[in-house]
Amino acid sequence: MFSTVIEQIVNGIVTGSVYAIVAVGMTMIFGVLRAINFAHGEYYMLGTFGAWFAVDYLGLSYEASIIVGVLSTIIVAYVVGRLVMQRMVGAPAEAGVLATLGIALVLQNTVILVFGGGYKFFSGGYIEPLSVLGFSLAAQRILILVVCLLVFIGLELMVTYSRMGKSMRAVSQNVECCEVVGIDVPKVVLHTFILGAALAALSGVLTAPVNVSVYGGMGELITFKTLPIIIMGGLGNVRGTFFAAMILGIAESLVATYVGLQFRDTVGFATLILMLMWRPYGLFSTQARF
Amino acid sequence: MKHTLSRRALCISTAILSLAVTVPGLSGLALAADGTIKLGIVAPMSGPNARYGAFSMRGAELAVKEINDAGGVDGQKIELYSADSQGTPVEGVSATRRLIDEDEVDYVIGDVSSSVTLAMQPVAEDAEVLLLNAASSNPRITYAAGVGGFKWTYRNYPTDENRAFVVAKYAAEQRGFTKFAVLSVDSDYGRSAIEFTKKYLPEFKGEILTEDYYKEGEVDFRSVLAKIRDSGAQAILMYGLADTTPIVARQMVELGLAGKVTLVGNGEFNTEKTINSAPTALEGAVEAAAWLPAWDSPESKAFVEKFTTTYDEAPNNHAYVHWDTVRLLAQAIHEAGGNDREKVREALSKIKYKSPVGEVTFDDHNQARLPMILLQIENGKPAIKGAYTAEIQYPAQ
Repeated sequence: MFSTVIEQIVNGIVTGSVYAIVAVGMTMIFGVLRAINFAHGEYYMLGTFGAWFAVDYLGLSYEASIIVGVLSTIIVAYVVGRLVMQRMVGAPAEAGVLATLGIALVLQNTVILVFGGGYKFFSGGYIEPLSVLGFSLAAQRILILVVCLLVFIGLELMVTYSRMGKSMRAVSQNVECCEVVGIDVPKVVLHTFILGAALAALSGVLTAPVNVSVYGGMGELITFKTLPIIIMGGLGNVRGTFFAAMILGIAESLVATYVGLQFRDTVGFATLILMLMWRPYGLFSTQARF
Repeated sequence: MKHTLSRRALCISTAILSLAVTVPGLSGLALAADGTIKLGIVAPMSGPNARYGAFSMRGAELAVKEINDAGGVDGQKIELYSADSQGTPVEGVSATRRLIDEDEVDYVIGDVSSSVTLAMQPVAEDAEVLLLNAASSNPRITYAAGVGGFKWTYRNYPTDENRAFVVAKYAAEQRGFTKFAVLSVDSDYGRSAIEFTKKYLPEFKGEILTEDYYKEGEVDFRSVLAKIRDSGAQAILMYGLADTTPIVARQMVELGLAGKVTLVGNGEFNTEKTINSAPTALEGAVEAAAWLPAWDSPESKAFVEKFTTTYDEAPNNHAYVHWDTVRLLAQAIHEAGGNDREKVREALSKIKYKSPVGEVTFDDHNQARLPMILLQIENGKPAIKGAYTAEIQYPAQ
């Protein structure tokens, strides 16, 4: 009984790692743009498709496909960033909602038009089970966990010490002041956006081997799971996002075990409603943006 | 200045993208010639069930091509229209309306998902267009058809009730399973199959230890599989989606369930692709299907060969049933003496159609009497264990 609970918590942490990598990008983009990126899940999907294409069509190894997946997403994100996201600086909130929802539709349907709407089978990755602390876990899941930790350590260091990281924090606090002191706001927005999209793509590529199937609509669910996480974590809060993602992952895992698998997706939405009712500023009520 | 330029670039790229979206739609338009039989296919062409839709469409296309190449039905050619249900009732209803109102089809074959077919029934009934279902297995569809209400719905596919009984009997009597865990898709198909399993399981001294249903698109089964492992179940009753089977099978390997717990039910356990995804997890799996490529009959073998050469891929169950149903419809139109919906409907009720799995007749609920084929995966290949037909006991009106 006790070991089952521990095992489910481990499962939850692995799921949470996937959510965390996606959500942190979304929360950072919110920080600098004050806009929810509804197309965020689509970059997760693009990364996965890029990797699948590299493995299936180009015959590359899984390691190389990670690079192809992330790079191709960066190119798309650069185009979208230049054409759309940079215009969102100072635009009203509804402009961001419409623009990103539109981009989500365009990206999703372009992929469906090009590759067809059916499920694709992702064959790469390290799916051999390993035994860790007595639990059987695919090696790929351990990789996800490690990458997640590295990403968060890297992000913490970046926003604390690097010039770009500091600029990101500055832009998220006050756009006008940044312009006065000579920070190139559109450039910061573009870099943050590309970084966020690349992280979503990375998460997609890392998850593909264990999720097996790849299809055009796979990003939607991720976007909607990310929403409660970034609100729980406090919009724009990197550290908060990490813990919120873990909480959601573990809660989902426990609900799937003890209540029923069919209630799994309810957890995220119920959390979203509760958070908006009682703590709309997040669980970790510091007002810090990063 | 810089701003106007990039805005123009945005406008142009948007225009190109929207063109890209509409052009394939244009190619779908076909001009109807006089004296053709207009047949609409509603199937999930996108979304989680898109693979079923693609197979369904190809099966129907192949049958139409064969019939038209042989001169059509008494000289009349069949013209095929397709509409995407996306596997959801809402889209299925509007797809059906589109076929009936805009393409003016006389006959609709659809959908794969039971939930969608149930929603389509009243639409076809209102328009007095024949709805011939080829691939939905929820019993309620024909409980409500024929003497049950909907005069224009017919089904050329065995039901979950038949399937649940056959699977439960085989699992208990031949394999000796008594402890089951449920992991089915959360839809009219997945839930009703379990409902009927529960009706028959006590006869075979079987019990259900855990019960879970997954949403379409679910990818994480670790939690529920760990629970099943700890429950001591011998078999997982899975009435699921073909696309999800490889995910579940792989995670069974990951959790060490492969070879210890057996999958029984339905969800394309028998295709090469699925078996290759996790051979150890699928070894011994038991499935009841309406048809499978290995079915031993000359017409069936000929179909498999023709389909494989045409599409470069072996057909699945959905391709077969749509191919077969188009042929059934063609025979009904021939027996009715022409393209008259009312007469075709009467002809269907009396038809004796020779299908590759046996002679097909319809009962007073417009349900075809068809066998379920039982198979088991042995050494990575499906082995046929027999075909069973059960007369359906309809609930009292």
